[in-house]
Amino acid sequence: MKALWRFFTSVKLVIVLLIIIILTSILGTLIPQQRSPQEYAVHCGSLANLFQRLQLTRLYHSFWYIALLFLFALNIIICTLTRLNPKLKKTFHPRLESETKSILSLKISERFRKNSNLSETKNEFEKQLHFRHYRRREKQDENRVYLLAQKRTLGWFGSDLVHLGLLIILAGGITSGLGGFKKDLVFSSEGQILQAPQAKFKLRLDKFETENYPNGSVKDWISTLTVLEEDKPRLTKAIEVNHPLSHKGLIFYQSGYGWNWENASLEIAVKKKDDPAFSQELKLRVGEKKAFGDGGAKISVSQFLPDFILNEKNEATTRSLQPHNPAAFIEGWQGEEKIFSGWIFAKYPDYALLHGAKETNLSLELKSYEASQYSVIQAVRDPGVNLIWVGCALLMAGFFLAFYWPTREIKAILEETQGKTEVIFGGISAKSQEAFQAEFNEIMTSLRRSK
Amino acid sequence: MSESTLFLIAFVLYIVSAVFYFSCLFSKKENLAKIGYFFAFLGLIVHTLALIMRTVESGHAPFTNMYESLSLFAWASILAYVIIEITFKIRNAGAYFMLIVIALMALASSPLMPKEAMPLVPALQSYWLWLHVSVTLLGEAFFAVAFITSIMYLAADTKEKKGKKTGLSSAKLDSISYRSIAIGFPIFTLGGLVFGMIWASKAWGSYWSWDPKEVWSLITWLVFALYLHTRIVMGWKGRRAAIIAILGFLAALFTYFGVNYLLAGLHSYAYA
Repeated sequence: MKALWRFFTSVKLVIVLLIIIILTSILGTLIPQQRSPQEYAVHCGSLANLFQRLQLTRLYHSFWYIALLFLFALNIIICTLTRLNPKLKKTFHPRLESETKSILSLKISERFRKNSNLSETKNEFEKQLHFRHYRRREKQDENRVYLLAQKRTLGWFGSDLVHLGLLIILAGGITSGLGGFKKDLVFSSEGQILQAPQAKFKLRLDKFETENYPNGSVKDWISTLTVLEEDKPRLTKAIEVNHPLSHKGLIFYQSGYGWNWENASLEIAVKKKDDPAFSQELKLRVGEKKAFGDGGAKISVSQFLPDFILNEKNEATTRSLQPHNPAAFIEGWQGEEKIFSGWIFAKYPDYALLHGAKETNLSLELKSYEASQYSVIQAVRDPGVNLIWVGCALLMAGFFLAFYWPTREIKAILEETQGKTEVIFGGISAKSQEAFQAEFNEIMTSLRRSK
Repeated sequence: MSESTLFLIAFVLYIVSAVFYFSCLFSKKENLAKIGYFFAFLGLIVHTLALIMRTVESGHAPFTNMYESLSLFAWASILAYVIIEITFKIRNAGAYFMLIVIALMALASSPLMPKEAMPLVPALQSYWLWLHVSVTLLGEAFFAVAFITSIMYLAADTKEKKGKKTGLSSAKLDSISYRSIAIGFPIFTLGGLVFGMIWASKAWGSYWSWDPKEVWSLITWLVFALYLHTRIVMGWKGRRAAIIAILGFLAALFTYFGVNYLLAGLHSYAYA
């Protein structure tokens, strides 16, 4: 038991754990995380099985990584607690130094003689310390005064606060991991109402817009959402990236967008090569068949692709869901007989791929295409997030105290012999040696100069 | 005057500064280093103007592509150097420091870096872009100072062991590395991790996603935590401390550049 305690109190364990966590974290960035088993099989070959067995494919959520973090947390708790007690003692019940030797062995120290008696010297010393905001303690013998002055003692506890902050952040992470969830709400059209997950209210998408920069790239996606409680509107907010909606513990983010291309409505111009006077524009949806002219001819659209490309097998497919190269597959009919079919392109009107049983005298152009947009809203419940912010605040406060608010401590012994007083004093300040040295020198000069 | 001219002038001033610093190093005339410092400071002012101009022209923070962020990193490094120089008077370090700055500026002005300001993608339109990136960079600039002084420490230590005298004593260099890290570590924590988490939670709906850039900034943080614990609690100084400081800065550098090019993730949109 004692050995176990000693194991956890050792700083060596912190160092070893830090190094292990650093190395394993690096490993996690070298192996792509959370991919499909097939992908690992393709890229890692025979190693794939080993990776999965060791949970290297979801390293940061693996049993052993979390166990490492737990061990680290335990180590932090024990190390902090064992060091806390001496610090509290140093602050609230400090021991006054009575050995001249140990004062003179401090990093900064001085000894000199003053031509005034003990109480005068002491008062002057105290005045100087008080003026510089030192908290003082003293003890008096017959001809000796022992002095201890401290300031910014909170600086000692900076590291403890940092550790506390870290533990709270870890606790927040665990809380998020256990009690949080994420769910995508896909609004496929404006006006649609969806139930908020694990909550008693509904959401309605009032409006969805994409704003573009003049060069065509996306500036912003904006979804106007209304919260409905028992079918009554409660509040309406336009959410965009970086500006989520928060309601009753759930936060809603703009996380995706797209077009319902399978339901696109198109405008197709039909012309006859041998009759320049003939021109007709047809509006039709994907899957629809419409007649044109007066000879009983019809055309239909069977497919629409927003970003047409031919794959390796020479099949038409779409490269993305963005309308980079919109194309429609058109079929021409005479009665029930199909006379031609082929692709026409919005951006390349001259490059139609029409072929059929007979040479057709028609020329078709894809004039315009439109599809309703859908908006994906991510609903997030994260019960750990407030712990994270509290932890961060403590962490930063701790850093401030530890690095920018260093404790200063002055110890002194004043000894009277024959009406004169010998002053022996020294000081320590771990993190601001130069600044403290300057203050120390000031105190000394004013003390020597005074009468 | 255009932003690119100002950038070029700053670049030239940094080179002039480096020339003076190096001639000081070889001729041991203190005054040359003072002139070097003067040019570095002048360069900093011109560089500041260039960054302001870019901000005004593009209408957003000047660190949304590689050119901008290299330029800003060079700027932050000079700023950190000036602060350290004022506090500790370490003229000799200037020569090596200017080398890093010049390398950053040269990289930024290479024709491979896309320079035109692009409109911001939706996720970057937030004041957290300013807070997150600039504070992180400032913290990393102090790590850069520690990196330089640690390398100088290793050189000085080797010399001193052979009984030769060095311009700056190894003990002083060791102390400056430590002090730079002590200043930089809280700043890096605030900008890189805390502000990063706040912004991530606003933009992505999750304060931590184990994205490679997040993991690498955590790694950087842990390396410097290791530095501080080995130093403060276990009393590691000198060579071992210097090596950890060097590794820490390399991790920071990898977080900053390497992740964008080598590892894909959520942050990859930031540097097209």
